[in-house]
Amino acid sequence: MAYYNQPNGAPVAGAQRPKSERKEVVRVKGLCKKYSKNADWAVKNISFSCFEGEIVGLLGHNGAGKSTTIKCLEGMLPYERGEIAIAGHDIQKDPLAAKANMGFVTDNHAVFIKMTGMQYINFMADVYKVPTQLRVKRLAALEKVFQLGSAIHNLVSSYSHGMRQKVCMMASLIHHPKLWILDEPMTGLDPRTMKAVQDFMRRYAAAGNTIIFSSHALNTVAKLCDRVVLIRKGKQLNEINVKQICAMNPNFDFEEYFLRNERQD
Amino acid sequence: MKDKIDFSLVRALLRKQRQERHFAYAKGNFDALGFFLRLVLVGIFVAVFVVFFGQFMEIYLQQRTNNLLNPDARLYEILTFAYLVILVAMTFGGVSAITREIFLADDMKVFSAMPVSAKTLFVAKLITIYRSQLLIGLLAVFTVNGTALLHYQAELWFYLSSVALCFVLPLISIALASIIALPYFMLRQYIMPRFVLMFIVITFLAAMAIWLYSLLLGMVEHMLSGDRDWTYFFDESVMNVIRTAVSYCYPANWMASLIMQRNVLTCSIGITILVAVCIAITMLVIGNILTRILQSRISGDVNFIYPAQDVGERQTTTAALLKKEFVMIFRTPSYMFSYFSVALLMPLMTYFCMNVAGSLISSTVGIAFDFSVELAVFLTLLFSALTNVFCSTNISREGSMLYTVKALPVSHGQFFFSKVIFCMLVTVVSQTISAIVLAATGYVNWLVALFLFAVGVVFSFAQICFATRYDFNHARFSTEDDGEIKEAGSTASTIIVLGMVVSFLIGIATIVVKMVLSFNAGGETASFDYLTYLIVGGSVIFVAALACIYLVFRLKRKYYEFSGGGLL
Repeated sequence: MAYYNQPNGAPVAGAQRPKSERKEVVRVKGLCKKYSKNADWAVKNISFSCFEGEIVGLLGHNGAGKSTTIKCLEGMLPYERGEIAIAGHDIQKDPLAAKANMGFVTDNHAVFIKMTGMQYINFMADVYKVPTQLRVKRLAALEKVFQLGSAIHNLVSSYSHGMRQKVCMMASLIHHPKLWILDEPMTGLDPRTMKAVQDFMRRYAAAGNTIIFSSHALNTVAKLCDRVVLIRKGKQLNEINVKQICAMNPNFDFEEYFLRNERQD
Repeated sequence: MKDKIDFSLVRALLRKQRQERHFAYAKGNFDALGFFLRLVLVGIFVAVFVVFFGQFMEIYLQQRTNNLLNPDARLYEILTFAYLVILVAMTFGGVSAITREIFLADDMKVFSAMPVSAKTLFVAKLITIYRSQLLIGLLAVFTVNGTALLHYQAELWFYLSSVALCFVLPLISIALASIIALPYFMLRQYIMPRFVLMFIVITFLAAMAIWLYSLLLGMVEHMLSGDRDWTYFFDESVMNVIRTAVSYCYPANWMASLIMQRNVLTCSIGITILVAVCIAITMLVIGNILTRILQSRISGDVNFIYPAQDVGERQTTTAALLKKEFVMIFRTPSYMFSYFSVALLMPLMTYFCMNVAGSLISSTVGIAFDFSVELAVFLTLLFSALTNVFCSTNISREGSMLYTVKALPVSHGQFFFSKVIFCMLVTVVSQTISAIVLAATGYVNWLVALFLFAVGVVFSFAQICFATRYDFNHARFSTEDDGEIKEAGSTASTIIVLGMVVSFLIGIATIVVKMVLSFNAGGETASFDYLTYLIVGGSVIFVAALACIYLVFRLKRKYYEFSGGGLL
């Protein structure tokens, strides 16, 4: 993945830089969302920030509000109260500038299934205004990670679940976004690709980019994330600095911590 | 198929299908307007058939052979041909039902992994197919025999044998359909991934259907014109050919004989043996097909293979959206037919209808009145309206991908602009062909053709704007795996009705105004042509302005706040 390194080959310092020097990429403040007037809050008062070079996990049980939070972040869903800013642009007031800075992978792997994988990636590259030469270069780099092979020329409708996931990830990275948002990214991937994706996520963040992802896989979250936002029944329970805790306590069991938190609540 | 039939499971499978059907009629899902429209359409079709078939029957029963009148023999001949046509139609319907219920049914993949025996599934599927065929048979036989009753003194036997015929016809048609089904399915699987070939085949078949329809319309016009002297056509040699043909039309001639109480014993034995053979064929063929599907030796999945493409040249966002729109429609057979084929064939319909309606108006109102422009305007508007009904799925077609597009740096303007522009491109092609055809065949001059083109494009623009926004306000996404909309919903029905009403009002208004003024001026029509241009031009511009305002009104806010479609 030399492409994501500096011209001299050294990795771009992102996460290594002190936090005070890093820019805030995502700011979520008091986010409240309802699906209908008479319904309960799907998420209420969620607040967190993400900085350059960070990997932040959203964690919670099924229906906790992770996907709703992510959909609001992506600008897919409107929200009642609160504020979301991506790279300094408010997602509701300045949606195009905010969206231009992010790439996303949805939980249902929504793709135009009557396109070939290549056509879909080209479509995304056109929308994000990626010059031809740059997309060729990026696609070659992404192909090394995701290894879709000649299947990239087949219709997406003929893809397996995991292959759709791969093409979604490739398309979401074609414009090299500052912020990469993934909803349940590891679902459906084979172990080899899962490992490759995890390594890629680390490198991508180390290059100064920000990643937000939701997952049920606690070990993956513990291994990858710098920080984790715990959500339960639409409310933010806690925000923990996994890296810091692990550094202080090498025997820290994240799974035990999560389940204890659930029980206490 | 050595396993046993579990009838409780058969009942459960049928109940499942019934529940799925009921879901479609449940509150919120039921398209009442569409249902009513379909009912009216079937009603009109049956009524028109009864009237014209009745008239034809009256004429044909008077034909003589060897200078002798023999209405019973003529009725026997008519019924033989009618049952043959019904049987052929039901066989095509049967092929479609077998493809839908067996080859492409989603539940087959599930059942192949469940402890449901092949025989049980076989019986349940066969009952479903038989039921659908029976409904078609009942409608067709009762319509034909009902018309025959207008000219035939029927006894109890006629009614009883008619009912029996309804139950027998599906047994024969399903057997024939089961033989054709597999080769048809293989051909379908071959054509499906070849989109251009499929487009050509679909459009060609539809063009043939329209051509046949135009022939029928021509006959109707001929009958309505009052020229009922068919004696020259049905001369002795033609009648001989008909009699010979009827004697070979098995098993339709047996059915007609049975109904008319001719050779009852022979025909009964013939039909009984035929039904027994048909049941055996059905059991063998459908059973074999089912077993193969359950063993995954036949699959409805299509393998699309494309030549490797390089990374494309950079395009603008609007160009990318337009390309996406084309690909999504062109690679979905039902969408391809509903839009591209229909848009190409509508000019033909305009031409054929112009031909028939022109003669009808001349014969009804009088040759002195020239309403060709008004008629062309009416037909242009009407067929524009029908072509653009597809735009009523502009938003629903996106399905959950609408949310993905919303999360991309694509403005609401770019999104809706690409939708309208794409539909306008299709419309311009359709209207250009239509105007050229009408001018080249001499129905209107080239200047009027240009006017028709302009009117058609502006009216289409109005309809596209209205349909797109209406669908956005009432979006209903498909829950199918492929996101394809299988049935037109209430949005499509509303757009059809509205388009027809507006085109009818504008078209008829011009004809009525011109007619009234012409009568007052003693039949002089040419001097009132300017009124037609004024009324039509003014009306379509007004309608387009209204539709445009409707499309853009609070669109930005609505787009970013959109959370509809029924999938969340």
